[in-house]
Amino acid sequence: MSKKYIKKLSDFAVLGGVSAVLLTGFTGCEQKPQDGSGQDSSFTQANEKQNAFVIIEKQSTGGYTIVDEFPSSSTRIVLRELDGTERILTQAQIDQFVQQEAIKIDNGTSNLTKPQESISNGGMGLGEVLLSSIAGAMIGSYIGNKLFNNNNFKNNRSRNYKSPSTYSKSVNSFKKAKAAKASRKSGFFGNKSGSRTGSSSRFGG
Amino acid sequence: MQLKKLKPLTNEYLESIGFHWHTDDDNTSYISDEVVEITEDEATAYYEATNELYEMYCEAGEHVIENNLFHELNIPFNLVELIKQSWEDDVHWHLYGRFDLAGGIDGKPIKLIEFNADTPTSVFETAIIQWAMLKFNDLEESSQFNSLYESLKDNFKRFVTLNTPIEDFEKYYKDLNFKILFSSISESIEDENTVKLLQHIANEAGYITDFEYMEDVEFSNDGISKKDKIFEFWFKLIPWEDIAIDEGELAVLLTDIINNKKAIIVNPAYTVMFQSKGFMKILWDLYPNHPLLLETSFEPLNSKKQVEKMCFGREGANTAIINADNSLEIKTDGEYDNFKPIYQEYVEFPKDNNGDFYQAGVFYAYEACGLGFRKGGIILDNYSKFVGHIVK
Repeated sequence: MSKKYIKKLSDFAVLGGVSAVLLTGFTGCEQKPQDGSGQDSSFTQANEKQNAFVIIEKQSTGGYTIVDEFPSSSTRIVLRELDGTERILTQAQIDQFVQQEAIKIDNGTSNLTKPQESISNGGMGLGEVLLSSIAGAMIGSYIGNKLFNNNNFKNNRSRNYKSPSTYSKSVNSFKKAKAAKASRKSGFFGNKSGSRTGSSSRFGG
Repeated sequence: MQLKKLKPLTNEYLESIGFHWHTDDDNTSYISDEVVEITEDEATAYYEATNELYEMYCEAGEHVIENNLFHELNIPFNLVELIKQSWEDDVHWHLYGRFDLAGGIDGKPIKLIEFNADTPTSVFETAIIQWAMLKFNDLEESSQFNSLYESLKDNFKRFVTLNTPIEDFEKYYKDLNFKILFSSISESIEDENTVKLLQHIANEAGYITDFEYMEDVEFSNDGISKKDKIFEFWFKLIPWEDIAIDEGELAVLLTDIINNKKAIIVNPAYTVMFQSKGFMKILWDLYPNHPLLLETSFEPLNSKKQVEKMCFGREGANTAIINADNSLEIKTDGEYDNFKPIYQEYVEFPKDNNGDFYQAGVFYAYEACGLGFRKGGIILDNYSKFVGHIVK
């Protein structure tokens, strides 16, 4: 269909983020209704923990690349196959990839720690791409030190993102924000409640 | 009207993706298990009508500001400075709104019912749930007039790029690193998760974001903050007129914050002009007999079936349908009867075989970008159902 405002469900390349939400929800969805706990939303904690949502895409050349990555309340890795189907990697699968990669790093066969010119054209394997994502820094924290002190890894890392902008966007979105001081006023709308009937928007329209 | 019956999404699935408001208080499902089938031409007509209406709103907005028609629109006086300030400067970018339209199917002409420009609901339903229904029913090759998710992401980027190409977002953002704080009140899971979905989309666009409940957001001369951290943008799913009326002190603080350029608030204050149903009277003055408009007046219309509703009423509350002979057909109660009434020519919504009425909702985020339907009684209220669609 040629009209850009009309989209097809199968057109995952276009839908992108929607398909990820269909699979796993989004960062806020762990929050259960009416828990009344106020401050400590799962998202606030997530920001402090710096987990990530990563979409990795298989390449026709055989390797993998990071299409998108952003902060999330829990770390989730979505793998997009060549035919557009997507699945979430289980924790066991993630652990397995990380451990296999750790062994390769130890014996010097991982592409992550090789100089760029010696990496074959097939591209990075899944474990390698996974560890070079920002999520990888958390998933594989126990091998993180080995990687972050390795100059080849530093040079290779951004190459595993689909585009330089995906990489810089990802780095930016994880940057810690600076604090500021002021005398402040709060407590507005503290007495509003969701007492209305029907679907529960307080300010529906 | 053509409806297609689908296998309904399970509550477990809906909750797993953060959609907790799937069941109304009367225990009926809020999401219809049917979708409306429309043609590509009908989709295109909705798209073009919505774009045209938005342009008319902008033209008429200029007219309201130049002529100080705020009182006519029932806008609280303590928002006027905020409205003018936000209107003057492009950085106060309108993220999204939803046009409610009659007609558009069954050969009926499209007519504007109202524009929810400030705090529209149904984002989650339109952007996510109706796609989920197609996916759940293996309708991979089906289409929708629905790029709401991507359009919102692009429009978030325009907070920084404004009228320059959004491809330049990363280039500008890496030097700015502007953060967006998202807020809803704490007692409504629908409001909270709708806001968190928007936050998720802003994250994908590349922003640093955070969430804080309304009552815990801090306001000062230095700007808007959460736990000592200042945010350049503040998204609030709280209507401007509620800020003005219920929390006058906050309106004063926000006026200072905007005047001193300490923060940018989304949606901007000028959207409260569009939100006022009185605005449609201004449109009728400027575009009399325009095919997309219904006659609207501040006084009852002569010998015409009409709808009386309040400038800032919501979800069909305080609405009356008055027949041409002045007899009352139906009236709803509500909490908005202190607002000013408007009178809008009545038009019948498309109707299915069960006698349910259908109203189209078309989202606008820089351009028309997503269609969904509401079905219910002759006055669509808080119990109306969300109905997805397919473009054949």
